[in-house]
Amino acid sequence: MGFDFNISLFIESIPYLINGAKYTILFSIISILFGIVIGLFASLMKISKNFVFKVVGNTYIEVIRGTPLLLHIMIAYYGLAAFNIKLDYFTAGILALSINSGAYCGEIFRAGIESIEKGQMEAARSVGMSYGQAMRFIIIPQAIKRVIPPLTNEFVAMLKDSSLLSIIAVPELLRNARQLMGTKANVWSPFLGAALIYLILTLPLTRVASVLERRFSKGGV
Amino acid sequence: MEYKNGILHVRNLYKKFEGVEVLKNINFDLNEKEVLVILGPSGAGKSTLIRCINRLEEPTSGEIFFNGEKIDKKTDYNKLREKIGMVFQKFNLFLHLTALQNITLPLKIVKRKSEEEANKIAIEYLIKVGLKDRANHYPIQLSGGEQQRVAIARALSLSPQIMLFDEPTSSIDIELIKDVLDVMKNLAKEGMTMIVVSHEMGFAKEVGDRIIFMDKGEIVEESEPEEFFRNPKTDRAKQFLSKIINI
Repeated sequence: MGFDFNISLFIESIPYLINGAKYTILFSIISILFGIVIGLFASLMKISKNFVFKVVGNTYIEVIRGTPLLLHIMIAYYGLAAFNIKLDYFTAGILALSINSGAYCGEIFRAGIESIEKGQMEAARSVGMSYGQAMRFIIIPQAIKRVIPPLTNEFVAMLKDSSLLSIIAVPELLRNARQLMGTKANVWSPFLGAALIYLILTLPLTRVASVLERRFSKGGV
Repeated sequence: MEYKNGILHVRNLYKKFEGVEVLKNINFDLNEKEVLVILGPSGAGKSTLIRCINRLEEPTSGEIFFNGEKIDKKTDYNKLREKIGMVFQKFNLFLHLTALQNITLPLKIVKRKSEEEANKIAIEYLIKVGLKDRANHYPIQLSGGEQQRVAIARALSLSPQIMLFDEPTSSIDIELIKDVLDVMKNLAKEGMTMIVVSHEMGFAKEVGDRIIFMDKGEIVEESEPEEFFRNPKTDRAKQFLSKIINI
């Protein structure tokens, strides 16, 4: 075998890999959006004074973060089928990735919200705002800028970890690379192609993050 | 019933933080248009006391009557706080909003004013504190004194019945304190009912109608400013004043 990189096989495999990358991007974007929404609720529950909310939020975050994503994917696809919930790979994949990233986003939001100085909440309450209004108009707008860098990291992780969806035959980037390895009987050309595409996807994201950070920045906070 | 006269009555107020009593049996009354200055060493419980009034802190026991009505679990705290303005030591302006927006946002959310009305009111109060030209500045672009004046304008814009000041000049550069004190003096002249926790002896003497001296969670002495500074009744107050004057 040895190092079997072949430039023409490499070029030949690019279109098929790009096809896979489309799935990678699609799954990642949809899941991070769901994850952000779930995470926002999870974080608000976790920091709430209501005992039940607190326990539910905390348990969700701890259980998901303490177990592997690959397991979540398998439960969504194979496990739920035992309860007659038969999901196609698309739904199961989105479900698993969203619930997984919801827990990580939850921790990101919690840290972001708790990093806002206590006086901001007190001032908001002192002018007669309710807790919810204070969160919505004062705390969360200030926390957004602070969570952009960790959220970007989370999205980068998602782009890479969505490769685990190959286990349930989602035709994403890494799965397509592996297929090419079989059909072309070549290891290095499709895998280097996949690596290149992952890098093209992930590297610009830090730039995007700093642009977003500046856009959301108001009054230096 | 017995508390119909006067705007605020505090009776047998206690506050414990994790078993430590920070307020012990606090009793006092506040009349309309009165300026009450609370003095005392740090840790005396002055801030905790005024934070109990607008319920940023929940007292452990005791009663507070506002406008003749007892504040308890049934009280709508948000409504209560609309009527009790508070100014903080660290200003606590909303950092993501301009000076103007700091005033308009509560007006819009809490008082349900239209954008236009809110802007009008905000400008009016910014003029009052001498900061109309800073309307579109963010807090970070303002000096401490300016931030505090915006914070005062923000509280005033909701037309409160009482204003609470929690060491309003303690975080401000010494040369900027006067501007803040001037705003407060004008307020007092206009007849605003005020409780001021402060170390500004000049202000207490000049503007205060009454002094409450606190130490270790208790009211040690209550008297007229003239009397308090010239001839304090208690040794603790004497000690405190001698130290302040030595500085």
